[in-house]
Amino acid sequence: MVGLVIATHCGLAGELVKTAEMIIGSMPLVAAVSITREDGPEEIRQRFRRAIDEVGQDGDGVLVLTDMFGGTPSNIGFSFLDQGLVDVLSGVNLPMVLRASQERKGRCLGELALLLRDYGQHSILLASDILDK
Amino acid sequence: MSVVLARVDNRLIHGQVLEAWVPTTKANCIVVANNEVADEDMRKRLMAAAVPRGIRVIICSVEESAKFVNSPGNSALKMLVLFASPEDALCAYHLGMHFAHLNLGNLHRPEGLLQLGCTVTLDNHDISSLSELEARGVEISLQCVPSDRQREWRSIIKAK
Repeated sequence: MVGLVIATHCGLAGELVKTAEMIIGSMPLVAAVSITREDGPEEIRQRFRRAIDEVGQDGDGVLVLTDMFGGTPSNIGFSFLDQGLVDVLSGVNLPMVLRASQERKGRCLGELALLLRDYGQHSILLASDILDK
Repeated sequence: MSVVLARVDNRLIHGQVLEAWVPTTKANCIVVANNEVADEDMRKRLMAAAVPRGIRVIICSVEESAKFVNSPGNSALKMLVLFASPEDALCAYHLGMHFAHLNLGNLHRPEGLLQLGCTVTLDNHDISSLSELEARGVEISLQCVPSDRQREWRSIIKAK
């Protein structure tokens, strides 16, 4: 099964995992990486390394979900890019985490990444748009 | 030349730069002066992709950055220049990029000797580079994001 690393500024990653687990129960092979202002690049890299090793134990690859393209969590995540084994998807939101956990079985990393990219975008909705239809 | 901000930040282009410094300085061009990234095509492409449309991004060696900033054709740009270390900033200065002020944003040194602020640690080499810039008239201060109070680096060192 593809492993998931949620990596964000401050405590958002841990809270996203906690929130998702409150809704759907515990999620295996999921790790949270939090980054603060004070953390040096090497320290952050080691944290990523540990998280990727931990959730990648099945050998099916790891998807790193980050909060913002261009932010430090994404930038450091990019240094672990490895075709077919590690990919980075930015703009993580709660629907994506929930869906990721549910759709992992039987999917390879590439399929899961594309599915979540599209699902994340489609999960952003404006109520008045729906009511105006 | 028009450098609206020259900054030492070992994270280079990241959230604080894109979301706080670019809007505050109204920069329309980000110059990353870094020999390592300039040599890594993948890092360069991903870094450039993070910059919003309408803002020019130049990622090049320290030497080329000085040429770019000093080029008369670029004098109308409002440039935000990023260095990964004080040494690179000094090198650019020697090459003619004469910024009046240097902002210390992020500099994490695991073996750092002097903790200046929560995000800035200096080793002896950093201190000598900054001292040389200071001797040439560059004002050096610490400020991680625009809403932080700007603190003059000398006064912090004296207080230590």
